[in-house]
This record gives sequence, structure tokens and C-alpha cells, in this order.
Amino acid sequence: MGIKIDYSFIFSALVQELKVLPLTLTITIVPLMFGLGIGIIIAIIRLRKIPVVDRIAAFYVSFVRGTPLLLHIMLIYFALPMAFDALALKYKWSLHSKDIPIIVFIFVAFSINAGAYMSEIIRSGILSVNYGQVEAAYSVGMTAPQAMRRIVLPQALAVNLPMLCSMFIALLQGSSLAFSISIVEVTGEANIYAAASFKFLEAFIAAAIIYWGMTILVERITSILEKRVQRYNRGGVT
Amino acid sequence: MAVEYGNGVNMGSVFDIKLIPEYLVKLIPAIPTTLLILVSALFCGTIIALFVALVRLYKIPVLNQLALVYVSFIRGVPTLIQLFLVFYGIPSVLLLLNIDISRAPALIFVIVTYSLGMGAFLSEIIRTAVNSVDRGQSEAAYSVGMTSREAFVRIVFPQALLVAMPNLGNLVISSMKETSLAFSLGIFDLVGIGKVIGARTFHFLEIYIDLAIIYFVMCFILEKVFTRIEARLQSRGHKPITNHMEEKWA
Repeated sequence: MGIKIDYSFIFSALVQELKVLPLTLTITIVPLMFGLGIGIIIAIIRLRKIPVVDRIAAFYVSFVRGTPLLLHIMLIYFALPMAFDALALKYKWSLHSKDIPIIVFIFVAFSINAGAYMSEIIRSGILSVNYGQVEAAYSVGMTAPQAMRRIVLPQALAVNLPMLCSMFIALLQGSSLAFSISIVEVTGEANIYAAASFKFLEAFIAAAIIYWGMTILVERITSILEKRVQRYNRGGVT
Repeated sequence: MAVEYGNGVNMGSVFDIKLIPEYLVKLIPAIPTTLLILVSALFCGTIIALFVALVRLYKIPVLNQLALVYVSFIRGVPTLIQLFLVFYGIPSVLLLLNIDISRAPALIFVIVTYSLGMGAFLSEIIRTAVNSVDRGQSEAAYSVGMTSREAFVRIVFPQALLVAMPNLGNLVISSMKETSLAFSLGIFDLVGIGKVIGARTFHFLEIYIDLAIIYFVMCFILEKVFTRIEARLQSRGHKPITNHMEEKWA
């Protein structure tokens, strides 16, 4: 006889997993914000070719892009407490690495990961902005940071909206690895909820529905935003 | 089951840099397993992708909609969840047909999952690459008397390949990084072996540094290989696209 799929269990697992969806979204959105900051800094460093720092930035980007996200999580999870304790001992802090909430490791690991990918997205975005725009900004008396902040970056981000959306989706899916350091997000909840009854298939179907739904939702929102953002620019490609 | 997760306790032994080369040597024998998964997935994935791309390019009814759902599903669900769905789902489905594969090696499920993933992304790459070739090109080929097969093989395919090459390279590299999740079904690939050594010695940090080095080197080699192939293809009369903007920004 074949194994019957327990549909009511899918539903109850879905309800259970939706309760931890805010956590999954937190470990997606917080690193996305930090990653955007890191990405902008790295992109500018690499475009301006600032000596030495440029080399370090290039290595950082290629290292992160050349290793799996799982290893970033694990490296941070094991290395950060060691470094923290060594510093705490040296400077006589009263804090110990055990006091750091585990979610901080995920934030750090994901931000480092997102920063590297994001820097490439932003770099290509900045390059797609016509340099005449910068010259125009200078000619009306803007400083270089002003031109970057007011003229170049908004266009660079707008051009790359679909890629920022992919970044969000990649981080959302990457968040399913957070359970490997015992953070109970959607995948973790699916594992735990299924363990009691061994109905793993049902629990993971429910998790798949959540991730798939979120992905489709984000894609829809992006395509609406894209129309808005590109409104100023009716004349073909930039 | 074979899920090895969340010990909840952060227990690394004292960091010892001398252990890094020692464990590196122990991890290297696991590279073929990782490559086996990647190559099998690439092979099976290509077959799936060609089929799906044809369905979508020719907009074959019903199959086209199914292909859309398939690609969207693979894009929308994390690889880890896909692994579990295949691992628990396929045996249950086959059991309904009275086929018992509960004793099949876990590696099969891993390869099936990665092939399905590869198939979906590759089909999109093929589709966009073929679509990017101007229709006028095949019309021109017909006008000089080529058959539709010749037009595709000699005119459309080489141009589509050039468009697809960078994406293909990225896909293979990202798939290799994704294979690091195969351990969750109990496969002794790089990460799997690393976990075994880690459980015995508690020197996790050294092992993960080794793993990072190995993956980094493998990605580096793959990237070089793909850049070389791309350069080869471009030298056959296709001009590389240069970006003059880059010089200005410096």
C-alpha cells in the first residue's frame, strides 16, 4: 500500500510555519539593508580604484562569490566568538561570546554575503549611468558625494531593480540555512514540527508553499515598482 | 533521518593553524563526490532544459503552462527544501505505483534534485539566448538557401551560445556552491566529510576554512575555464563588447 499524504497535517504545518515567517523575513531584510550599505561602499572603492583598499575589496568580493553561503554562516559562527573572546580577554570586557544572540551571527554572515553580490549589482548600475549626468551635476555646483547620492545612485538602483529583487529572493532562500546554527525559522520549524510524527513530506510541502508564495509576491511587487521607477525614462534604454 | 542539524552548542576547540593543511589533505578525497553530483546534474539538467526550452519557445499548449509552473517552483523554493521534497516525496509517489525505492542510495535523490534545478535555470538561459538572436538572421540564412536545420546550427546556435556563455558559467559555478547542501541527505561530499572530521575532533573552524579554500579554488578554476571558452568563441569573428564608461569612472 502506498503512503497517503496527510492533507490536514500540511495545513497545520502551514499555520505553524507561518508563525515564524516574521523571523525568516527579519533575517532576510536586515542583511539586505546592511548589504546595500556594504555594497555601495565596495562599489565606489572599486570604481575609484583607491589603492590597496581596492585590492582588498576585490578579494572580498571574489572570496564571497567563490564559497557557499553555508560556509559563510559556519565560518562566522565559529570564528566570531573566538575573536570576540580574545578581544574581551585583552581589553577586560565583562561580556562573553555566549552573551551574543545567535541571530547576530546570521546577520553578520548574510550581510557579508549580500554586500559582495550587491557591490557587483551597484557597480554595473553606476556604470550604466551616463557620465554626462555627473558632469551636469558638477556644473550646477554639486560636490562629488552629492552627485553620487542625488544623481547617480538613485538611477543606478532603479536600473538594477530586478537584480535587487533576485538578491532578496536569494537571501530569502538562503535563510533556510539558518537552522544549521539552530535558528528556528520556517525550515527549522518544519523540521521540528515534523519530527514528532515523522510527517516530513507534509511539513516540507507546507514550507515550499510559503517560500514559493513569498517569491511570487516579491516578484509581483518588483514588477509594479519597476514601472513606477522607470516612469521618468520613457525613451528606450538608458 | 539523515538530517544533521542544530547542535545548539557552539563548541570549537582551541584554534590551531597547523591543523589546516592536515585536514585539507583529508578533505581532498571528497572532491570527486562533489564533482560527480555537479557533472551528473549538468548532464541530466541539459536534457531537461532542452526539452523545456523547446516547449517554451514553440509555446506548445498545456506543456508550456506546466513548464512555467516548474521553472517558477524551482526559482521559488530553496534548494534545501527541494532536497527534502525529493527525498521524501519521490519514494511516496512511486510507492503508490508499487515501486519500492526506499533502499535507493541517497546520492540518487541528490542528483535528481540538482538535475531538476539545473534543468529549470538552464532552460531559461537557452530560451533567452535563442530569443536574443535577431529573427532577420535566420531569414537571411533561408534567403541564401539554407535549410532550417542549417540555419539553426550554423547561424542561430553560434550566436545564441555566445549570449548564453556568461550565464552558463555563472549557473555552473552557483550550482557547485549549492552542492554543499547535499550533506543534509547524508552524502559524504566535501561538507559531509568535513562534518565527520568535525564531530570527531571539534576543530570545526579549521575544517570550514579548508572547505572555503577548496570551494574557492574550484570556483576560480571553473571561472577561468569559462572565460577561456568565451574568449575562444568571441575570437571567431565576434567582437567583444567593451565598456568605455569604466575608464571614465576611474
